[in-house]
This record gives sequence, structure tokens and C-alpha cells, in this order.
Amino acid sequence: MNDKAKKALVIGGGPAGLEAAIKIGQAGYNVVLVEKEAVLGGTLRQLYSSFPRWENPEELVDYKLQELEKLPSVKVMTETLVDSAQRKNDMFLVNVKHSDGSTEKIEVDSVVLATGFELFDATLYGEYGYGTYPNVLTSLEFEEKLREWDSGEDNTEPPKTVAFFKCVGSRDPSKGYPYCSKICCMYTAKQAGLVKDFFPDAKCYVFYMDYRAAGREYEEFVRDVIENKHVRYVRGRPAKVIPENGRLLIRAEDTLMGIPIEVTADMIVLAAAIVPSKGTIKLAEIFGANTDSYGFLQYDSKNPGKAGDKVFFAGACGFAVETLGAQYQGAAVAAEVIALFNQENLEAVETPEAQYQGADAATEVNARFRQANVGGK
Amino acid sequence: MSVARRVITPQEQIAEVPEKIFLFRSCTGSMEYPGTENAIKEVLKILGVEIVSDPDQSCCAGYILTCSGFTPEPALAVTARNLGMVEQRYGLDTYVFCNGCYAYIRELAHVLHTHPDYMKQANDLISQWGYKYEEKTKILHVQELYYLLLDKIKEKVVRPLTGLRVAAHYGCHYLAQQYNILDEGDLPTFHEEIYEALGATPVFYKHRRMCCGYAVGRGFTHKESVVQPQLSKKFDSAKEDGVELMTTTCPGCNVALDREQPNLNKRGFGPYDIPVIDLGQLIALALGVPLWKLGFNANTTPMDGILTKLGLEKGEIGDE
Amino acid sequence: MGRERDKDWDRDLYKKVDRYGIVENLSECLQCGKCAGNCPVAALNPSYNPRQIVNEILQGRVKRLLDSEEIWRCLWCANCYRVCPVDIHYPFLMMQLRYMALEEGYGLKYVVPINKYAHRALDAGLTFVPGKYGIEKIRKLRTSIGVEPWPEVSDRAKKEFRRIFELTGALAWMENLETLEEKPVTFSFLKGKILSRGEVSK
Repeated sequence: MNDKAKKALVIGGGPAGLEAAIKIGQAGYNVVLVEKEAVLGGTLRQLYSSFPRWENPEELVDYKLQELEKLPSVKVMTETLVDSAQRKNDMFLVNVKHSDGSTEKIEVDSVVLATGFELFDATLYGEYGYGTYPNVLTSLEFEEKLREWDSGEDNTEPPKTVAFFKCVGSRDPSKGYPYCSKICCMYTAKQAGLVKDFFPDAKCYVFYMDYRAAGREYEEFVRDVIENKHVRYVRGRPAKVIPENGRLLIRAEDTLMGIPIEVTADMIVLAAAIVPSKGTIKLAEIFGANTDSYGFLQYDSKNPGKAGDKVFFAGACGFAVETLGAQYQGAAVAAEVIALFNQENLEAVETPEAQYQGADAATEVNARFRQANVGGK
Repeated sequence: MSVARRVITPQEQIAEVPEKIFLFRSCTGSMEYPGTENAIKEVLKILGVEIVSDPDQSCCAGYILTCSGFTPEPALAVTARNLGMVEQRYGLDTYVFCNGCYAYIRELAHVLHTHPDYMKQANDLISQWGYKYEEKTKILHVQELYYLLLDKIKEKVVRPLTGLRVAAHYGCHYLAQQYNILDEGDLPTFHEEIYEALGATPVFYKHRRMCCGYAVGRGFTHKESVVQPQLSKKFDSAKEDGVELMTTTCPGCNVALDREQPNLNKRGFGPYDIPVIDLGQLIALALGVPLWKLGFNANTTPMDGILTKLGLEKGEIGDE
Repeated sequence: MGRERDKDWDRDLYKKVDRYGIVENLSECLQCGKCAGNCPVAALNPSYNPRQIVNEILQGRVKRLLDSEEIWRCLWCANCYRVCPVDIHYPFLMMQLRYMALEEGYGLKYVVPINKYAHRALDAGLTFVPGKYGIEKIRKLRTSIGVEPWPEVSDRAKKEFRRIFELTGALAWMENLETLEEKPVTFSFLKGKILSRGEVSK
């Protein structure tokens, strides 16, 4: 780590945070990457598979960690939380707290918030009985189940029928949030497809209002699940679940047929809404960033990655987004930070005397850069 | 932004235990099941809550309004009149003991609150008799008071209903209000908690949340095609799970569940023989209120079997 | 049945039905089907479907609605309202739709008989007062449990209750219904419908 170079703080080690930290580090600046869990990777660590290419998310995480290893200018602090911060002149004085109780003060020049998402509390939907009835799971809990089926860890009787409910907490101003959580239609198709791969004789139902596959290779992915893996999509938001004889009775209307139906399932997976992770609002306050009425970091159309003065954000803490999008956003805010640091360095190197003063690797790079540009004009 | 507040605790609903409440007379309650009204009065007396009523209170005019029997204007004015009267004369909160009254008064009051022109219209009309509605009185149901005073009820149980398999019929209209109510509309459990406090055994039968059919179903003559098949499904599942007694918090539901059973039996459903009483009457039984005050002779499906099981013959518990 | 044409649709129907402005969010309907999935009547009656009726109103297909039997099936359990993700108060919508139908003479056979109790309420201040035999039963019952034989409703309450109905024009509205010519209602939504047992109704 070069003590004289500019330093960025990246909070959150998921796909967005990792991307940001790596790119800023590769540009030659210092980064402190703070992550509350013991391992990096964020929600990717909980996923068994990914859309639209059925790839193993662990491979992506491992790849990114390898890139990270090559960067001595990036310091990683796991099991660490940001406690408070103050602005001091042009910098931030940030207090972090480690899991052993010890605290540390870091001085940084810019902050990137990449704190990711959590799932909506599905117990609020009493009609689905999450938390009360057995075998009603959220989508993230179901990823764990997929892993258990794959590894053979779960050798209980395979389910005969699995039902997936979409929009649990999304598109619901009454009990949840009015917005659409964007990624659930895709990951539900993925999960339903995987059930059919593991248990070809099992019946899979996906209860939907719409299916949203607006992305590259997305529509083909969902059509493959429906047409080749024979998952049945029923248009109708489930009205009620009633446990009966160890199974779960689902009442809904097949709105395309206009008939109320009852489906008996062994397991129900709820695609719960994407909400900003709990720490996001507190961090927004600490760093003077704005959040919208749902708690997501607020964006400005002209500067979408900017949350405040020298504060940027990327990934699901800004709104629900898929892994690829989180990576893109991470790289985009890395560019913002790098541009900011370059600009500040240029301003600092205004006078010719200051040009080569100080063994500042970044400033040197920038000075050469500036010279080259001046020459190029 | 957190999601809209729906379920609240009884302490949030009723800030402090009231010394006095205004009890809103229910038409069906006072005519079909006067024992219910009596039981509630006795139970609240034991729990230290005084009841105030007023003969100037009229019907809430909700039932037939929902049957499209007349237009909403009189119902809105009647609601404003009744609530305004409680505010002006007593300054107390308005407690109903009927889910129907609860829904009608609460929904009509909501229409008044959110439409200032209707509020003005109603207030102008009732002002000629000196009434004015200022949205000060809170609209509550006695079941909320029971739940708030659950610990006290437990203390005062003199006749634990041990071994009695009781099932709840919450009814539709209290939980359908959705916001600022005591429990979730699809998975409520607070009645069962009350049963446990009384020493009884709660039974969660499959169709416990099914409607009794008697809202507009009591008004229109679709009993055979709409209401009865529904009720038979409900009673089938209760019978299967060994329910011995059902409680309601609505005299309207009580009429449906209690008085339709012989009709169902005649039509070849069932046969069913599950007595249905008000939750207040159940609490009164456990709290030792004299039996003759509870008016079980109003019940079409007789309570005799239950009383025998509890070791009570007609006239026992405190022959006054 | 043939193809429907948009010129037969009344695009303002959703506003006209809500004459009292109490169901203003009808356009928010997502057609998700939670209401129909939870409706106890829809489960037992093949042609009654609350989601479908909302769609009919939004689309403006007034012809099928007003003379249909289906609109008289909602029994106001409000389960639909309770589970609706956008809180559409469907029972209040049906109440107002029924006003529209009644004023044209449809469904009088359902409402006029029940208004007998409304008229009694104007005198008694109580709804569902039974006939002579029923009143006698109630008096005996109430006396046996030690309360006054008849619920105490003051003359003032009765008078003011009646006056409110007179002054708001509701009594006149009720009496007008009794003069209208009854028009027949049929199951509009049953024709050609695929019933849940796979049969097709004629």
C-alpha cells in the first residue's frame, strides 16, 4: 500500500463491491474493502447456480478473489463494520469495528457503498404461512436446499410437487412494496428448472402475474425452462395456503382460464421482494447520502452512481439488480472514483515545482498522463 | 419506508385499560342472543370495566346498506350521529361486540374521514338535533379488550374449561379491516390464546377461516346455492377435527352457524351438532358467571352436551 | 358468442359505477386473481368471478353486467379486499354496481323483500326485527335472563333515525324501487364457460 496515494473505502464485498475495489486498485490507487461477513462474495455465496448461463457463482467469486490477491494496494477487512465517520477537510475519517471488538480509524478520500440487499420479511404474508407452516421457504433458503440435494446432504424423500410464488412483497402496495424486484422472474425460472433437473418426475408450478425476462439470453432461458423442462406456469397470484395431512394446499385462480384452482404441493418457495440491506440506511446517514422512500440509495439522472459528495454506490443497495449488472455498476463507480482521484491529483499538481515532489506513484502517473495529453493536443 | 402497519399489539390499540367504555348495542345481538350482551357485561364487570349504554343510540344501518337496500347517505349520517353522541355525552371510546357493527361503523367512519364533503353533509344534517361528529372516539371491539386483559382473565378463572375442544370462528369483518387490528387476517391466533388462558383446548380445523355467509347472504335469498354448501364444508372440517364447541365474536355469524345447522341436516348435509356461542359467553363460563344469565336457551343447537361435560347442569354456578 | 367490439364498451363505466367516490383505485387492479382465489362464492359458483367483474367494469362492458345474476352473489365477506395487493374495496364496488342495476329494474326481487326490515327499522330503530311470533320469543328470552323484555331504544332515536332517511332521500329511493317494473336477470357469465369439471356450459 502506498501511503501517499489516494484511498477509497469500499463498503461491501459482493459482486459490486469486489468489482469496484479491483478496478480502483488496478488503476493504482489504495482501497480498503470492508465486509461484514467472514468471507467475501456477498449474496453470491448463497447461490447454487446463476442465470442465464447456469454458471456456478462460486467460480465467479474465486476468479474475483484471485484478481484481488494480485493487488497489494487493496486491503481487505472481513467481519468488520463501519461504525461512524466525520468529514475532515477533503477527507473522511472513518471508524470501523472488528468482530473482536477492536476499533480502527481510517482516513479515506472517497467512499463506495455496495452493501447489497436482503429479502423482504415473508412472515407478513400470513396467507402463505411462512414461519408457521413447514416447507414454506424463501428463495435464498431454497438455494441452500438445491445445494443439499446436489451434494446428497439432503436424502429425505424428494418432493412430488414444488410450487413457486412470485411477487411476495413486490408489486404490493398493501402489504409490501409497489416496485418490481426485477430479478425474481429469472431466478424463479432457474430454481424451477433445477428442480426438474434433479427430480424429473416432480411437478413444478410457478404462480405468476407476469414473467419479466428483459435481458440478454433471458427470454430464451425462461422459454427453455417452460418448453423443455416442462415447468407449468400458472397465471394467478396465490390467495391462500392451507396445510393438510403434511402437505400444503394452495388456493389460487388460474386467471387465464378464469377458474379457481387448488394445487397440493410438498414445498413452496416464495420469491420475496428485494429490499436494501439493514445497514444501508444507517451508512447513508453517516456519509450524507440520500435514500428513497424504500431505503435504496437515491440516484441523480445525470450522475447515476453518485450518492453524495465523493460518495458513490453500486449494486443492489441502489435497487434490485442481477449479478452482471452489479459488476457493471461496480466498474462504473470505480471509474467515477478514479476520475475523481485523477482530477484531484491534477489540481494538486498545478505548479511545475510541485510536479515531481513527493514519491507519489499516482501523482507521477498522472503527471506523465498530463504531459502526454498536452503533447498530444 | 417500512411497510404499512397492519397488525398492532392490544397495548397500541388501547393505550390504557379503560375504567369505563361505551358499549354499542348490536341489533342482532340484543334480539337473537341477549345472553351474549349479558355475558359481556358480566365479564367486563368482573374485570373491573364499567359499561355505559344509551337508549338514544340507533342501529348502525350497515347491514341493509351492504345489501344495497338504500343509499349510503343515511348510513353516513347515522354513523356520525351515533359516534358524535358518544363523543359529546361521554368522551369515551366506542366498543362494539359485533364484527358487523365493527366493519360498518369503521368503514363508514373512514369514508367520512377521507371525504370532507360527506362529513360536512352528515354533520349539517345531525346538527339540527345538537349532534356533531369530530372523529374523537375510537372504534374498538370487545375482543380487543379481552386480549388486552388476558392476564387478568387468567387470574379470574374459577371454572377452567379443561378438556373442552373449542374452535374459533373469527368471522370476516373484524380481520378484513386489515390495518390497525390485532392479528393477521389469514393466520390469527389470539382467540386460541384466550382459550388456553381459560384452560380449554384450541382446535385449528382446516376451514377455520371460512366465511359464515351471513353478511349479504342473510339478506338475499341465496341460502341454498351460496351459503349452505359453504357452511357444510366448514362444519365437515370442524367435525373431522373433533370440534366440540365454536365461538364467534359476531352475533351475525352466530345466527348463521347456530341456526343453519338444522337446515343443513334436513338437506342431507352433516349431520352437524356443534353448538356456537359468543367468545364473551365462553369467558363468562370460565369466570363463574351464573348460568341462567348467559341465555343459552337462545341457541338453536343446544349447549346441553357441553354443559354436562363441564359438570354444569342448568342452574349451577352460583345460583343467585 | 362472436367477437366483441369496443364501440359497445363504455369507457367511463368505472367512474359511473363509483358514484360515491369510495372505490377510486379500480384502475390499479393487477388482475392477479388473489380475490377470486380467496372468494368463497367463486369456489362454489362457476360463473361468479370477482376479478373478471372488475375487468368487465374497467373495460366498460356494461351490457353483460347489469342484467346478470352474478352480481348478486357477492356476500361481502371482504376476503377479496383483505388480500388485494392494491386494496380495491370490491364489496363497496358491488354495492354501487347493484344500485345501477336496481335503478334499471334488475335484481328487485333480491332487494325489495329485504327492505321490509329496513322499513321496520325506521319505526323500531333496530334492524331485522322479526314478526309478531319472533318478537314474543325475544321478549320471553330476554325476561328469562333478567334484562328488560325489549332492547331499550328511545323514541328520540327512532324519530331521528327515520328523519335521517327521509331527509337524505333514501326513503324515497327505497319506495321508488317498489314501483319499478321487475326485469329478468340471467347468468351472463355462464354461457360457453369451461366449468371446473371440464364440462362446457351451454
